[in-house]
Parts: sequence; C-alpha cells; structure tokens
Amino acid sequence: MTPQATLSLPLLRPRLRRRMGVTARGIAGVLLLLAVWQISVPLVGLGPYFYPAPSDVWLAFVDLVRKGILPVYLADSVMRYLVGLVAGAGLGIAFGVLIGMSRKASLALSPLFKFMFAIVEVAWIPIFVVWFGYGIETIVLALIYVVFFPVLYNTLLGVRTAPQILVNAVRSLGATRFQVLRLVILPAALPGIITGLRLGAGFAFRGLVFAEMVAAKTGIGYLIFEGAQAQQTSRTIVGMIVMGLLWLAIDQFYLRPIERATIQRWGLTVDAAERG
Amino acid sequence: MLRLPAAATAFVLVALCAYWLAGLVGAHDKLAALEPPPTARADYRITLAFAPERFHQVLLQEKGRLVEVRGNTVFMKDVDPRALRSIARNYWVESIARWSGK
Repeated sequence: MTPQATLSLPLLRPRLRRRMGVTARGIAGVLLLLAVWQISVPLVGLGPYFYPAPSDVWLAFVDLVRKGILPVYLADSVMRYLVGLVAGAGLGIAFGVLIGMSRKASLALSPLFKFMFAIVEVAWIPIFVVWFGYGIETIVLALIYVVFFPVLYNTLLGVRTAPQILVNAVRSLGATRFQVLRLVILPAALPGIITGLRLGAGFAFRGLVFAEMVAAKTGIGYLIFEGAQAQQTSRTIVGMIVMGLLWLAIDQFYLRPIERATIQRWGLTVDAAERG
Repeated sequence: MLRLPAAATAFVLVALCAYWLAGLVGAHDKLAALEPPPTARADYRITLAFAPERFHQVLLQEKGRLVEVRGNTVFMKDVDPRALRSIARNYWVESIARWSGK
C-alpha cells in the first residue's frame, strides 16, 4: 500500500460508510413499501385491474421486456427527452445571454417571453398536434417550450448579476464584446445556467410524460396511458416506476455531478449540493 | 469531478453496442436457415415467442405488407431483404421462414 493510499483510507472510510448507510436506508424504505403493498392486496380484496400486487407489476415488467416493448419505448422516450432538453437549453442560454447583454433585445423580446411563459405547454400540445401531427416533432417542441423558460430566466439572472467590476476591467484591457462574454459573463452566469438546466430537465421530464400521452404512439408516457386504456393497470405502474427510476438515474449520474462540479469550480459552498 | 457522468455514458454506450451486436448475431442465425438467401422482395412467415400485440404488428407493418396473424405467427408479403434483416434483429422474433403467399 502506498503512503498516499494509507493516508486517504481513514478519510475515505467514514464517507463510504455514510454513503452505504444512506443507500441501505433507501433500499430498506423501498422494501418496506413493497412489503406493505403486497400484504395489503389480499386485505383490500380488489382485482388486479384496480389494485395490482407488486408481483403482478413485476410480471408485467418481465412481459414488456420479453416482448421488446419496454426497450423500444424507453429508447424513444430518452431520445425525445435528450433532443428537447438540448435544443431547449441551447435556445434558453442563447436568448438569456442576448436579452441580458442587449437592451434593445430585452425591450423587444421580454414582453413576448413573459406572455408566452404564462401559457403552459399543455395548452400548446393540441396546436402542435394540428401543425405537426402525432410524432416526435410535437413532443420535442413541447419539451423545448418547457425547458426554454427556466433556462432563459436563470441565464438572464446570471448574466445580469455578473460583477460589473470584472466587465469594466476586461473592457479596459481592450477586450471585444465577444471576449467580455467569453471571459466574464458566461463563467459568471454558469451557476445560473446550471440551475436553470436542472429545473428545465425536471420540467421536461414531466412534460415528456404528458406529451407522449397525447401525441405519441410509443414511449413511456404512452405506455402509462395505453395500460390504463387497455385495463392493464400493472403496465401503467411499470411505466410509472420506469419513469421514476429514469429520473433518479439522470439526476444521480448527470445533473447532480454537473451541478456539484459547477458549484465547486466557482467557489460556492458544496454542502447544499452534497446534502441535496 | 465529472467522472460519474462519463462512466454512466460509457456504460450506456457499451450496453447499446452489446444490444446491437446481439441483434446482429441473432439476425444472422435466424436468416441462415433461409435457402436461398434473401436477395429480392419475398413473402415470409415470422414466428414470435408469443402472440403479437399491436406494437409488434405496427412495427412489422412498417417493414412490409402484414397479411395475417395466426397464433404466434405473422404472415407478411413483399418484404425486402433489408427490412427482413431489421426484423430478424429483434430478439422477440423467434424464427423466419419463407411463405408461399397463399
């Protein structure tokens, strides 16, 4: 064992132990819920259509995988989600920077965006269906709409709270507008952008389920809807569980580490992100 | 710092590659039984491991003309070789055989 490893082990152990403890408590909570659910089924005495047992849901899951339905629906949902998230975030950041840096753009666009912000995506989906039909275009547009506003307003906040002293300092050194943007504004706005992204990612996830229920013939949202329509409640619950697990994975493996990295990079406290 | 997202992405990519490769090998095995090998549009009898649902019928309909469903078997006309290979890649397709079309 190297001296470095010897030194880092005592530091690592309590942290690892704490993390394992948190995971174990989480798993215990889920197992308890499943046990209560399974026990309650004969007590409630309703059929699987009204109140399926966890075992029914498990069988439905196995059936959906065996028949190749779940992998295709999952892939479709993830693909739509990623396209909507990336496009919505890109537009949100671009317009946030534009409005934050240009008074003319702010005067021209702010009222329009405030007006649009009030119209929820649910209201747009029927119009998108009329214009683009049932399919990926409608869903992606709905997701772009959902992601756009939180990213826009958080980027705007970040741009407007960039330290003026730094902007002036860089300008006095002869920096162009683009250099000011690259060297001061964007780094200062990054925590805001990340916050907007995290919010947008969450909203987009909820938007995805709704959009797929209304405007798709595949996807996890459609599975939830189709299951209920076809009186296959177990399938609906499988869809709900997959949706929840997918969100947990996205949050745990992508959003949280990216947020933590940004917070640490820009010298803000890391406790909130660690605790979150 | 961003090791976790990178590792998660790598894991997903490896899983997707494995899935794709498994599909490719499976398709090769299922089509190997066809004599002569498919080179032009033809009619096929596609057997699944279960009775096809709407999902499977819609998917198959995109690859050719679905004529009939009998039990676990789907009868299809005018399937071109490329579409046949993509059908065979699905793990839920058990076997593929030529069909006289009657």
